[in-house]
Amino acid sequence: MKRLRLISQALFVVLFLFLFSQTESKGVDELGYPVRLFLDFDPLVLITTLLSAHAVAVAFYLSFIMIAVTIIFGRVFCGWACPLGTLHNLIGTLEKTRSHPSLRQWYRFKYCLLIFLMVSALFTLQLVGIVDPLSVLIRSLSLSVNPLFNSGIRAVFDSIYDLNIKAMSDASESIYTLLKKGALSFYQPYYRQNILIGVIFFFIVGLNLYEKRFWCKYLCPLGALLGILSRHAFLKRSVSEGCTSCGLCTRQCQSNAVPEDMPGKINLWRQTECIGCRNCDDICPQNAISFGFGKEVRSAPIDVGRRRVMASLATGLVAVPLLRTTPFSKKEFSDSSLIRPPGSLEEAEFLKRCVKCGECMKVCITNGLQPALLEAGLEGIWSPVLVPRLGYCEYRCTLCGQVCPTGAIKKLRLEEKMRVKIGIAMIDRGRCLPYAHATPCIVCEEVCPTPKKAIWFEKATALDRGENKIEVKQPRVDLELCIGCGICETKCPVRGRPAIYVTSVGESRSRENQLLL
Amino acid sequence: MDRREFLRTAVIAGIGFSIPSPMDFLNGPCEAYAKSDLVVATGPNPAKITRAAIEALGGMKKFISRGDIVVVKPNIGWDRLPEQAATTNPEVVAAVVQMCLESGAKKVKVFDRPVNDPRRCYVQSGIHQAAMAAGAEVSYIDERRFRETTINGLVLKTWPLYEDVLNADKIINVPIAKHHSHAKLTMSLKNWMGVMGGSRSHIHQRIDESLVDLLLAIKPTLTILDAVRILVRNGPQGGNLADVKRLDTVIAGTDQVAIDSFGATLFGLKGGDLGYVRIGEQRGLGIMDLSKLSIRKIAA
Repeated sequence: MKRLRLISQALFVVLFLFLFSQTESKGVDELGYPVRLFLDFDPLVLITTLLSAHAVAVAFYLSFIMIAVTIIFGRVFCGWACPLGTLHNLIGTLEKTRSHPSLRQWYRFKYCLLIFLMVSALFTLQLVGIVDPLSVLIRSLSLSVNPLFNSGIRAVFDSIYDLNIKAMSDASESIYTLLKKGALSFYQPYYRQNILIGVIFFFIVGLNLYEKRFWCKYLCPLGALLGILSRHAFLKRSVSEGCTSCGLCTRQCQSNAVPEDMPGKINLWRQTECIGCRNCDDICPQNAISFGFGKEVRSAPIDVGRRRVMASLATGLVAVPLLRTTPFSKKEFSDSSLIRPPGSLEEAEFLKRCVKCGECMKVCITNGLQPALLEAGLEGIWSPVLVPRLGYCEYRCTLCGQVCPTGAIKKLRLEEKMRVKIGIAMIDRGRCLPYAHATPCIVCEEVCPTPKKAIWFEKATALDRGENKIEVKQPRVDLELCIGCGICETKCPVRGRPAIYVTSVGESRSRENQLLL
Repeated sequence: MDRREFLRTAVIAGIGFSIPSPMDFLNGPCEAYAKSDLVVATGPNPAKITRAAIEALGGMKKFISRGDIVVVKPNIGWDRLPEQAATTNPEVVAAVVQMCLESGAKKVKVFDRPVNDPRRCYVQSGIHQAAMAAGAEVSYIDERRFRETTINGLVLKTWPLYEDVLNADKIINVPIAKHHSHAKLTMSLKNWMGVMGGSRSHIHQRIDESLVDLLLAIKPTLTILDAVRILVRNGPQGGNLADVKRLDTVIAGTDQVAIDSFGATLFGLKGGDLGYVRIGEQRGLGIMDLSKLSIRKIAA
């Protein structure tokens, strides 16, 4: 059984990494692969989105498959498919400790976390993305691990290239070209908060060095949800009379599902914790353990305790007003640097849906989409913000809307996308070359992508030091035409603080955040 | 190459060698004129007029030798479709690539340093697919391969230029003719911004002088100006089909200043209206005055 499980885990990891590597533009309008597939299967995202936004995710029906599988077979997703779980297994091979007896009862914590998330989602606060395992994994890989991997590989090949020894660089360059086609990103990606997100991720993974599958047993809210669904799963484990209570199965159990004391006492088996790895079945020297359908087996209930349930409910409830009484929630307040990707829903609605998975930032063609820290309040942490100085919104690209799993960013047709305003550009006359220094520069106008350019020139006469008249073309922004794509800011040759910059004011999605009548 | 293709090529080559080149009489005393000769070919098929124009200049064999590594440099600067006329017509590019290979070029490289995302520009312009199919090696710019190059120009003293251009045996410029708010028009000379590294947008501060300076460092063997569709307003990106004018024309020649001077007439301007053409002639790098040129107009 173990070999079968390992093959399954490997296949899912390969599928996951393949889809991850395909979350990148190839120059055509569509990606060609359903890269958000894993999130589509995530019932936790489905349920919390339903609660918070009263709307369903784009391909929500796929998660019904996961629900059905769990009801029939139990938490096999965790043991056989979850790519984060497989990573835990992999790192866990470095550590012998399967279980600290003192921690065993902490399995309840993940149910408390689940209750917290559900309650806050019910009251419109969607925090699931911060801890959902698939969100955590995709976000961490996209924003932290992948950039690190790219930078490392590039540094190696660049230094061989710089040695300038022909035979060596010829060989290394051909490998490098191959890597660029498959494993590496087109450009070296750069993300703000890559360190914070990376440290959290390595901490989560590092917990395996304290105890194998720590995350899965004690923290994972998706595991908790699947645990509830598998409470009466049809596939059950039974122990026959031949059991000698040798305790081997307890020590081999990946998830504290086999009771510690008296392993033979079947009524203590925690079906909700079992991830179906079948280690116990494989190891049993008496062959007393079997899994099968139609067995009459009693298993342990989820015993979170009434007080803990109440406390989690209360925390979930209190979190809503707590996070919503920052200035970010004040309607008249707008942070003009909070530029959302095109197709984003109105801010409150956006926050109810965004699960911070980072897919949009991974796929963003210019690397301009970056994770927010507190620009959108604590609830908007790691949600996507366009930082035009780093990268602009490519006029004819619709990829972020294509990969968003929850519809926080709507999938737009190209014609729609080209009309959506994500903000407007403003000119800093104190820094702009033609205004401040009577020096010709037309870069912002040249790169402006709207068919009738949103940047136009006002001809003016300036005086130089010798009082000679110079003709200059001073750029002006047509507020009706500007869509706020930010290419002018990205390409502005005034280094540092740009002479033209985009603000979110004027964005199509907002009624309030407007400048013009 | 199969047997039939080999025989056909051999026969065509044989015929080609056996007839005297119509340009032969220009060699010798009239060389200065021969150098500035322009061919303007017009017709509905972009590939066909490209071929006809180059044949009328004496054929690609006149420019490309067996074993040459050739750089063909189209304008792939923007994420636009061919019909929007912001990038060189892919059929023109493919025809040039094919002719180079037919003339024995060892390798034909096609690349540009676009303003928009390179992946989108290459694919959406149709040039990636067309040039690959024609047998070219299409690659994205590798930022490590810019080499600080001495230019000693009026404005540009040194600048990082793309190694593949500097190392090429032959260079062929395949720009498109477009409106540009600052340089007025962008054609042959301005196309070389695509092999400049660094913060090239700074050259807009002295655009005309800088473009002429580039002529000192990059010397194409042949230039084919694509005017199949020209962009008359809102250049150099366009986007509105109403700003595109279909001329079904290509202009081939070896003098980029002359080509740009002729190109200006397509937009109702004169060569002298373009600063870089004026300065190019003043500095003896080409001929601006169209009356001094022998211009052949052909239909294909």
